[in-house]
Amino acid sequence: MNLMSWYPVFLREMLLFRRKLFRVGYLFSAMVVPVIYLITFGLGLGRNIDVGGTSYVAYLLPGLVAMSSMNNSYSWVSSALTLNRHYFKTFQVFVLAPVPASAIMVGEVFAGMVKGLFASLLIIFAGFFFTGTLVTTPFFLPALLVNCFLFASLGVITGMLAKSHEDTSTYNNFFILPMAFFCGTFIPVDRLPALLKTVVSILPLTHTNILIRKELFDGECLVSLAVLLSYTALFFILGTRLIIRYNE
Amino acid sequence: MIEVSGLSKIYREKERPITAVDDLTFRISPGTVFGLLGPNGAGKTTTIRMMTTLGKPSAGSCSIAGFDAQRDPASIKERIGVVPQENNLDRELSAYENLLIYGMLHQVKGLQEKISEVLDIVELEKSRDRIVQKFSGGMKRRLLLARALLTDPEVLFLDEPTIGLDPQIRRQFWDVIRKIGLDGRTVVMTTHYIEEAEALCDMVGVMSKGKMVALDTVPRLKRLVGEYVVDAITDQGKLEQHICRDRREADAIASGLQGRLTIRRSSLEDVFVKLTGTRIQ
Repeated sequence: MNLMSWYPVFLREMLLFRRKLFRVGYLFSAMVVPVIYLITFGLGLGRNIDVGGTSYVAYLLPGLVAMSSMNNSYSWVSSALTLNRHYFKTFQVFVLAPVPASAIMVGEVFAGMVKGLFASLLIIFAGFFFTGTLVTTPFFLPALLVNCFLFASLGVITGMLAKSHEDTSTYNNFFILPMAFFCGTFIPVDRLPALLKTVVSILPLTHTNILIRKELFDGECLVSLAVLLSYTALFFILGTRLIIRYNE
Repeated sequence: MIEVSGLSKIYREKERPITAVDDLTFRISPGTVFGLLGPNGAGKTTTIRMMTTLGKPSAGSCSIAGFDAQRDPASIKERIGVVPQENNLDRELSAYENLLIYGMLHQVKGLQEKISEVLDIVELEKSRDRIVQKFSGGMKRRLLLARALLTDPEVLFLDEPTIGLDPQIRRQFWDVIRKIGLDGRTVVMTTHYIEEAEALCDMVGVMSKGKMVALDTVPRLKRLVGEYVVDAITDQGKLEQHICRDRREADAIASGLQGRLTIRRSSLEDVFVKLTGTRIQ
């Protein structure tokens, strides 16, 4: 088996990504929502709020990066796969090639990661530009990488299950949007009602937010890392199985 | 050698079974240009999908060069090239980039030279760096063919290769397919253009409602149903057709008819009408 058989899948996505990058609206559209949140909640409402001894903006920024990486890794992959399967039929090209399903999975997930990391970078720059705060914690990069991989894998699952492009919005509204708001991006999970807190504590973005804000590695870090890696493995295996079972 | 045995596909639509392909059995010898002829909905594309490993059969099997499509799909994928009915090129990439990705997926050796070679065959070398979105319909079909040829496949599957092309471009496309057939490659194509099957195929399988109703060479199929046809336009302007075994029978029938009469050699369309009772639209 060729260990680089994922590369053409990844390269295709990168060639398409490069074309989109040069479009005027792309950069703006990738950062507009998090920047609105940053200005409204961080610089507006949160100006006088203090979270555990730090300013609200300093609390919010890592959460926005995690949220943005989740949204971009997930949405790009799920939308692209749905469109490529149902409308453009380009997914056939991968399925008809003598490459294993895991290679298609890896190529798509890596491409999703690049898009998620790129969007995160934009938020980091925007945060620095508006607040002068640079997001730096010891586990920032590993947490971000795992988060992108995890949600890109979930994007593959949605992309393989969705029966139309409208379906991806439904999945988005039920899973991704609630996670963005309740999993510790804007408010600490501790302040949520007990029932909601229990539900939120098993969702992956909560653990990314815990890990991404930690200054020291402790037991909570270990639990969050274990949860994230378990989700990652589960989503990766499920996504690969869906590609294996694909037929027209 | 391609061997198809008892191949069937049943879809479920609102719990109701719909048989798209019904118990097909046939063999295609190496080097043959084989045509599946039939109207829309006859099951041609579904058959091709199963043969190329893209669709899973409900029953039966298909093997290419001894490899079973279900048990060993990777070995089949290494040996085939597919031109699908619907354009599945990346519209936002250039012709070169489309071929590059495909060639890398199939691990083509000497890829750069091979890309130039196939672009030459389909006369698209000058457009290699143009974005596919800006191509005409004919150029896209030619690029799909170039992509399928990139791996030097033993078997080339063409699903309605000239659909939507104007007659002049269609004939240019036929020349390319003929050239490919002359290389000794096996070509399996579907078409609902009778003249296309007649012009290109060594063997034709006539499909109707998922079943194979006839399978033979074009001359033998014509002989099977009759080599001459008497077309009679009645006084009411209605066309009556009589398929006859030979010229003598045609003359005899014509002598007993009134109206405007034409005696001509039978075509594949006459064979199709006789076998299926319907005319391809």
